[in-house]
Amino acid sequence: MLFSIVFFFSDNQIRFVKAALWYYGYDRPELYRLPSDGSAGSRELLLAFSWLLHRISLLEQLLARNRVKTGDETSVCTCEDGLPNSLKGTTEKAPEHGLEGGVDVRYLQWLNGRLRFQWRSLHAQHEEQCKLLHKIHLFTSGSHVDQILGHFSVTETDLVRQPENYKQLLQLLESETMQLEAFLEWKQLEPVYWQWMETVLDNMAEEGNTCESQDARVEGSGLPKVASCCPWADSLTGQIDKLSRDLTTLREQLHKLTTRRKAAWCEKVKTREEELQKEGFSATARKIQESVELKLLDLTYLCAPPQKRMHGSHRLVFRNKHPASKMGFGRSVSKEPVSAVSATEVIRELQMTEASLERELKQLQEECRQRLDEVAEGLDGVICISP
Amino acid sequence: MLVSAAGPGPALAPRAPSAALLRVRGPWCRRGGRLCSPAVCSRRGSRARRCPAMLALLLCFSPPRSSKEEEQLQPEAGSSNGQENKPSPKELEELELLNRALEKVLKVRKSILKTPLEAQGATGEKSAGEGPAPKNAEKQQVPVPVEDVPMSTKVRAVSKRPASLKKPSPYQLKAPYRTDPEVKKLQRKALSRCVSRGPRTAGKSSSKGVVCKQRRSPTRAVSASDREVCAPAEPQKAPGSSRSALNAQQSFSIEDSVGEKNSVAAGRQLLDAGKKSCGFLGESSKKENPTAEGALGRSTSPRRVTLQEKGCQLKLPLPYRKAYFRNSRAWERCRLCQTSADAAAARNRFIERIQTTFCSPRPAFSPAEVEEELKVLQDVLSLLSQYMEAEFADHPTLQREYESLLTLEGLQTTVSQCLRKLQLLQAGVEAQRRLHPDCAVDGGSCFPACVPSRGQMCDTAGMLAVPLLCYSSFQELRDLFALKLQVSMLHQEIALQKVMMAELLPVLEAWPCPEASAVQLYRAVYTQLCEGGKRFPVLMRDELAD
Repeated sequence: MLFSIVFFFSDNQIRFVKAALWYYGYDRPELYRLPSDGSAGSRELLLAFSWLLHRISLLEQLLARNRVKTGDETSVCTCEDGLPNSLKGTTEKAPEHGLEGGVDVRYLQWLNGRLRFQWRSLHAQHEEQCKLLHKIHLFTSGSHVDQILGHFSVTETDLVRQPENYKQLLQLLESETMQLEAFLEWKQLEPVYWQWMETVLDNMAEEGNTCESQDARVEGSGLPKVASCCPWADSLTGQIDKLSRDLTTLREQLHKLTTRRKAAWCEKVKTREEELQKEGFSATARKIQESVELKLLDLTYLCAPPQKRMHGSHRLVFRNKHPASKMGFGRSVSKEPVSAVSATEVIRELQMTEASLERELKQLQEECRQRLDEVAEGLDGVICISP
Repeated sequence: MLVSAAGPGPALAPRAPSAALLRVRGPWCRRGGRLCSPAVCSRRGSRARRCPAMLALLLCFSPPRSSKEEEQLQPEAGSSNGQENKPSPKELEELELLNRALEKVLKVRKSILKTPLEAQGATGEKSAGEGPAPKNAEKQQVPVPVEDVPMSTKVRAVSKRPASLKKPSPYQLKAPYRTDPEVKKLQRKALSRCVSRGPRTAGKSSSKGVVCKQRRSPTRAVSASDREVCAPAEPQKAPGSSRSALNAQQSFSIEDSVGEKNSVAAGRQLLDAGKKSCGFLGESSKKENPTAEGALGRSTSPRRVTLQEKGCQLKLPLPYRKAYFRNSRAWERCRLCQTSADAAAARNRFIERIQTTFCSPRPAFSPAEVEEELKVLQDVLSLLSQYMEAEFADHPTLQREYESLLTLEGLQTTVSQCLRKLQLLQAGVEAQRRLHPDCAVDGGSCFPACVPSRGQMCDTAGMLAVPLLCYSSFQELRDLFALKLQVSMLHQEIALQKVMMAELLPVLEAWPCPEASAVQLYRAVYTQLCEGGKRFPVLMRDELAD
């Protein structure tokens, strides 16, 4: 049965959809040949949608991301923090306003000071919020019906106090429950859906065979025109280059260090060869080798995906690891229907991120210093002594 | 909120304006501003909004069922249930003084009355020790009217306290007097600005009224910063205070005549004293009725308890509980629901077939995969750097040196692998560039920053599990918050640094002939770019006598 779904799309929407599909690796040329006014191609869209459904587990992701939040949520990744690409774009394209009067550099200093002040007060506010949050968690321990959580969140505590304010929350919960039930139904019908998709594909293939021969003559290769510019590729090439530079520097440093160490080692060992053999050094050496491999296992594990990185917002739960606590959840996380991330892990990752960001900042500052030193040489009669 | 940046401001001021106007080209400040303001301000806004609400929850926790009674008894109070506002600093300060005065009094009393009070008062209380109380008491020299004290030997209803936990009860001054120590700490924080301003006079006059209070209502805890308590603190400035004290004493005489009654209600009256001095008597007589019933736990008297006391007994309202249960069961079923074998087979068939129609030499990496791999490599790089730095130290023993050697060699292998991978990625990027559809949208902005990795996509059940972040101590929570903030701040700093470098350095480098004012500019720019705006270089004139 053929039916056509009529979509009305705007030009931008179609471009967006094509870009997104390309991003995830959908390489079916027919889709990209579709006209930008949405006048044709409903079946292509259907195919693309089905492919995406599988490729990014679309339904599960949507459910997970739009989960109703009844707790104190916080994100476990810092993905949103880096300069977003959109901002990067506009920064570069910012029109050069001719500021006739120029800008006083003291204004810059003032702004900077103000910014630092705001960050400090933000820190203070965070601390206060943290304290209050912890207290609420502590004081309501043992009250929640859900044993896994164990205590109330701020929302729930307020809910106890003033239930009438939270009618919307209830409605959201209920509508989410309905969505979940719909999802379960979908799971039942899944085989039918995929079989149907295959038939669509078959039909398209048949039709395609008849007209493709014409198109092939007209268009040549089935690929879309080579894009004149691809900002994504440019930005990624930049990142790759930077990473490659860093890695090369690292390799050189390692090389220097290793040669030095090796030389020193050979010196030491030369004179004591027999002595070491007596001590059974080779056995020790083997053990050391194994331990080093273990140590470097972290690295190899990292290099080999798939990686399970934590993302998104999680609900904060206070779990006292006190042995006397009634909730003996400590180790048995896997048995529970939760994906519980421990704050310790997140803290460790954050510390690593912090360290690498600080290193980057220092590098930039160092670069500035060098350039400014050169400028200083041009200034007559002035010596600059850095702090 | 004009924070003058340390340093050059004052030094530059005396110079002629034209010289001091150091020209810096461009719209950098706009860009910089764009980078700064939204992030920081929105965060501050949301934090500022949440703190008072949480404070209110902790301090004035009253479950809804008593709301009606409260309304009856406290028509003017108005504040009871909807109270979300932070008590003003002024009120908190007055309250603080009140508390201190009370403690002082108690200390004196304790020495006279000794143990029975303490024993009774301490039961059923989550006490954090006497620590805060005496500390505060020392701060003020409140002349305790000692002559009043001996009259208070009649200790009332000491034992009423323990029963109160079951049903919330109104203000209770508990002996030995102590506000909830946690609460007090919060107050102290809020008062950090105005504490030192303590109007001694207010303290003095309040003590009189307070002592009377103390006599009559010895045993209940006070939920300190509730409005009821705050309000009477207000008129304790010189003129009003004597009046309130007077009223307080009057009320006592009334109470006495009624005989033993719920001293809590009495306390409440007192605490309302400041609010409206007229009509005070009327109020007290109104209260006589309900309070005539005596002991605790009557639903008619207003309740105010801290979350600390009631927290573990709270119950979610029934409709919410039902909805919550249904919701979590639905999630659980979805999580456990597996794709049937038929569905999986049909799906795989479809995917295989459609992928045969894809462009023939398929690129090794899809753009999403390229980005993923790149992130992985960046992590590996930082780990490698860490490991390498660890090996810089000298090693005492032969074994350690051997270990270090092996580690370094392992690191070298990894670096080579990474570089090879990078080359593959670069090739992948080029391949994708060829295929890139002609979309004039900003390439980067389409794509969400927070994309789960391929590995995660396979684990659909994991996606549907309840996401929790468990922390085990207050310190951990604090570290978590602080680190997140620090990382955001660093991101912003780096972005600003890049923008400033791009804007400021060219100005300096292109300076045709350095004038006198160039030096100041140089110093300012140096500070900003190289020291994060915190420290300044010293610029000296190089004038060596020839």
